[in-house]
Amino acid sequence: MRLTGFCGAIALLVLSGFVRAEQAGWTLFERVQYAVSHYNFDVSFVVIKGNQTDTYRWLHGQLQDTEIEHLVPLDTSGVDILRRDNHIYYLLTDRPAFVTDGTSIKELPALLFENKQRIAELYDAVVGSNSTMSGRNAQLLRLTALQAGRYSYWLWIDAESGFPLRIDTISEQQNPLERWLVTHMQITPELPSNLQALAEAELPAAVPVTLSEQASANDAYQLSWLPSGYRVIPEPVDLRQQQPALLGYWLLTDGLHQVSVFVQKSQSMPAQAYRDGATTIYVQSNEQLEVTVIGPVSIETARQLAMAVR
Amino acid sequence: MSSENQDWLSAASDNQPITSAQLDTLLQDAELQGRLDRYQLIGAVLRREKASPLSGQFSGDFAALLEQEPEYHLRTDRGLLQKVMQGVSQAANGSWFKTVTQGTVAAGVALIAVFGVQQFQQPLEQDMMSPLPVLQTRPVAGFATPVSLSQTSVDSRFEQQQQQAMLEQQKRLQALLNAHRQQVRVMEQAQQAEANTGKTTTEQPERGQ
Repeated sequence: MRLTGFCGAIALLVLSGFVRAEQAGWTLFERVQYAVSHYNFDVSFVVIKGNQTDTYRWLHGQLQDTEIEHLVPLDTSGVDILRRDNHIYYLLTDRPAFVTDGTSIKELPALLFENKQRIAELYDAVVGSNSTMSGRNAQLLRLTALQAGRYSYWLWIDAESGFPLRIDTISEQQNPLERWLVTHMQITPELPSNLQALAEAELPAAVPVTLSEQASANDAYQLSWLPSGYRVIPEPVDLRQQQPALLGYWLLTDGLHQVSVFVQKSQSMPAQAYRDGATTIYVQSNEQLEVTVIGPVSIETARQLAMAVR
Repeated sequence: MSSENQDWLSAASDNQPITSAQLDTLLQDAELQGRLDRYQLIGAVLRREKASPLSGQFSGDFAALLEQEPEYHLRTDRGLLQKVMQGVSQAANGSWFKTVTQGTVAAGVALIAVFGVQQFQQPLEQDMMSPLPVLQTRPVAGFATPVSLSQTSVDSRFEQQQQQAMLEQQKRLQALLNAHRQQVRVMEQAQQAEANTGKTTTEQPERGQ
């Protein structure tokens, strides 16, 4: 009897320890999300995908009630991306700007901006060890996926400011797939001067998107299986003008990641899998159809999704 | 006999070596000892050693000093070890000893577990620093060109055809990847439009990135 009581007490102690550790993890995570959306900063970061490295400069600031964010690719021929509150502008050199609505720039790590409650449904947050990174004291935070098939994240957070210093996307086999790494960071009390001009610049208004009716987009095909936590976005943007060869397509989301499934006429190629950082590109064809799955999922999940197209 | 005695006794008094048999005889015979004493005295007189540097009571004093010295008892290591072993063998029969041993084993296992985990984590950290595994990172870029373009055998033409097909597929994949990115970019706007006004049918100019 006494032994049972003792064991129960130990179990309670261990459990409460876990709960407290998880709470500390989410508190730290909230600090990160606050830092990237409220501070005035001028940051350079690299994205390492395999042996390919892309460098970006990321500026953010708040002027009165307006939030301004500017993402500039430094070594690729990409586009400048500017966000003013809920409008995102893709500034191209040879064409007019492409404008859309959204609360965050999709080219930045989504988990820095997505709703914490939604992320908590998909991940466990556990605070790890301290280490020194770029001369700063960095705290490790592990976001471990609750379900199989979803990648995990390891975040290193500046202990002083709460700003993320490094984000690794980790596969289920614990291999790093993609690394997001801050190389230079300057947090200032005032708005970075480069943003001042952009804050006042005249920019075109958002162009309403053409939505595709799900029924007409995919009248001939169905998706009979979804990875756990994912749902189909009922009305994705109309892609037929850009991709006339598409027979059908779906956009799936779990609130943090997005996966596209495309159906095309078969080219009779063998099944292939490619990887662009954490993004898997999986192609599978039979006699009639070729199904392509693109998104941050494991190859096994992509294969199951491709098999689910009827 | 006596002259023989005198010979070696005289030699002994001059610091010449003597045999062990002669030494035994000397130790047993008091007369011989007296004679050696006299020879030594004669020698000392002849060498003009007037007085001994030591006092006559020296041996007595030294004996008294030795008496006063405390006694030291040396113990060998082996004896100590044996004692410990004896103590352990006695303790092994006691019930408390088993409990303590079990506790020690449990603590040992826990220590190994803790340090084992730390050592397991370290190589993982090193892995993170090493170059990332390369599956096939770029869907489009870097497609190997045929080794020899001038070769016109059936095999190589077949290979070229296959490579052409692969190249075209990679192009299509890049287009699909762009389409995926485009979908993600406008997703929020699409969802908002859907939530706010139902279906928006305004034409959107074609844009690809």
